[in-house]
Amino acid sequence: MLVKMQSVKLSYGRWPALDGINMEIGEGEFLVISGASGAGKTTLLRLIWMGDRPDTGTVEVAGFRSEKTKKSQLPALRRKIGIVFQDFKLLHGRSVYENVALPLQVTGAKDRTIRKRVIALLARMGLSHRSNSYPHQLSGGEQQRVAIARAMVGHPVILLADEPTGNLDPEVSRQVIDLLLEINRGGTTVVMATHDPRQVPPGKGRFLFLEHGILRGADMWPEIEGEK
Amino acid sequence: MSMFRSAMRETALNLKTRPGARLVTLVMVALAFIVFDTFLIISWNLQSIMDREHGMVGMEVFLETDLPEPGGRLIGDLISGMQGVQSVYYVSSREAEALFRAELPGHTDLLEVMGSDFNLPASLQVTFDNHSMTRSELDEISRAVEVMEGVEETVYGEDFLPGLIRTVASIRKLVFLLGILLVFSISMVVFYTVRLSVVRRALTVDIMRTVGAPWWFVRIPFVVEGVLMGVAGSAGGLALAAILSAILSGAVAHRFMPLSWLTLVILLGAVTGTVGALAGSYERERRR
Repeated sequence: MLVKMQSVKLSYGRWPALDGINMEIGEGEFLVISGASGAGKTTLLRLIWMGDRPDTGTVEVAGFRSEKTKKSQLPALRRKIGIVFQDFKLLHGRSVYENVALPLQVTGAKDRTIRKRVIALLARMGLSHRSNSYPHQLSGGEQQRVAIARAMVGHPVILLADEPTGNLDPEVSRQVIDLLLEINRGGTTVVMATHDPRQVPPGKGRFLFLEHGILRGADMWPEIEGEK
Repeated sequence: MSMFRSAMRETALNLKTRPGARLVTLVMVALAFIVFDTFLIISWNLQSIMDREHGMVGMEVFLETDLPEPGGRLIGDLISGMQGVQSVYYVSSREAEALFRAELPGHTDLLEVMGSDFNLPASLQVTFDNHSMTRSELDEISRAVEVMEGVEETVYGEDFLPGLIRTVASIRKLVFLLGILLVFSISMVVFYTVRLSVVRRALTVDIMRTVGAPWWFVRIPFVVEGVLMGVAGSAGGLALAAILSAILSGAVAHRFMPLSWLTLVILLGAVTGTVGALAGSYERERRR
């Protein structure tokens, strides 16, 4: 198992964000976690990249256990994870190339390796012609593709996408979902949090539903089950 | 690209942001250092004066008139072995008379009145280590010397010397306290500036953390910023203090600080900048 959560509970002050989470994510899975705003989707993803630690219970990701992983070990974990955010989180003073190269630069990769990987990835994302552009010169869909390229450049074992289509129109959203599915077909585990699970075609992944911090199976959500 | 080069690139990018806020901080650091530098100049000059005066204060040991020269020199050897004694000089009866005639030319008739059999007593002129003597140590030496056979009496700056020593010690304490206060206050100024930098670059910091940058990589731009502000601020303060010193040199005779002190001031700037930057970046991280 790539990710394993056991009896996970996390509160922000008095507000319980997640409660009694038990979950496993296997290698090569495409997992869709859905739920309303404030249901705990982002918190669940934060637990996976250990941006937060559980109050009780255990989170294990690619061999790193939440209760044993020291702060100094977090960079090693995070190099195995790619993260995509709803608001892209691109650095505006840097070109597309520089944004995508960042994860390799902070790990000390050689210039030649960086150039090779970034150019190949931008070509795969259909962004070669945008290499020298800056984020503000790109459309929303292009920005999200750059963010996905940045998340993928380090060859992560797991890609976390937090509402990756939240700021995009339906047509561009579909393209982004297709891109995530293609990445998954390449062997990378994808965990996508979304308020609208219908964006992912039935049968293309496993669906889980979060409600007030409690995880339900897809069978608890008739709408999804019905579409299957 | 090596990680260090990448980190330096991040540092350069950081330094390009918010030049106005950084300038304000630099001015504040420089002003704080001017106050400190001014005090250092004053204390340096006072210290020099006191060292000179202190060096001139010694003990005069008058020997019995019938004590032969070898006996006087033997006492001199004994005194020179005492703790805190810097030098002992034997002044013979003949030298004493020559000195008397040279220093008090209008009173040479006194010697004539005393008759040809009268000789001024031989003496020993004792100087002390400038910085190590306390009042009780001086008294102790005086008592020990006075009980020696062949010694008539001892004379030293009993009223003047202890006060001088106390003043020097007080000034040193004051400089030390002011230094601590300066380190604290400048660290706070740098602390808030760096914290603003961290907030300004929050997105970059977040992204770096999520893509697996080690802690030092994330922090180094802020630490370099702090060090540069500390060094540039202290150097700026020194430059302004030097200008003020040159302007005032006509009215008040004084000397500027020695090179070793200048180096220490710059070092103090670097240390305070580093402390402030580390605290500022750590505090922000702790809150996240």
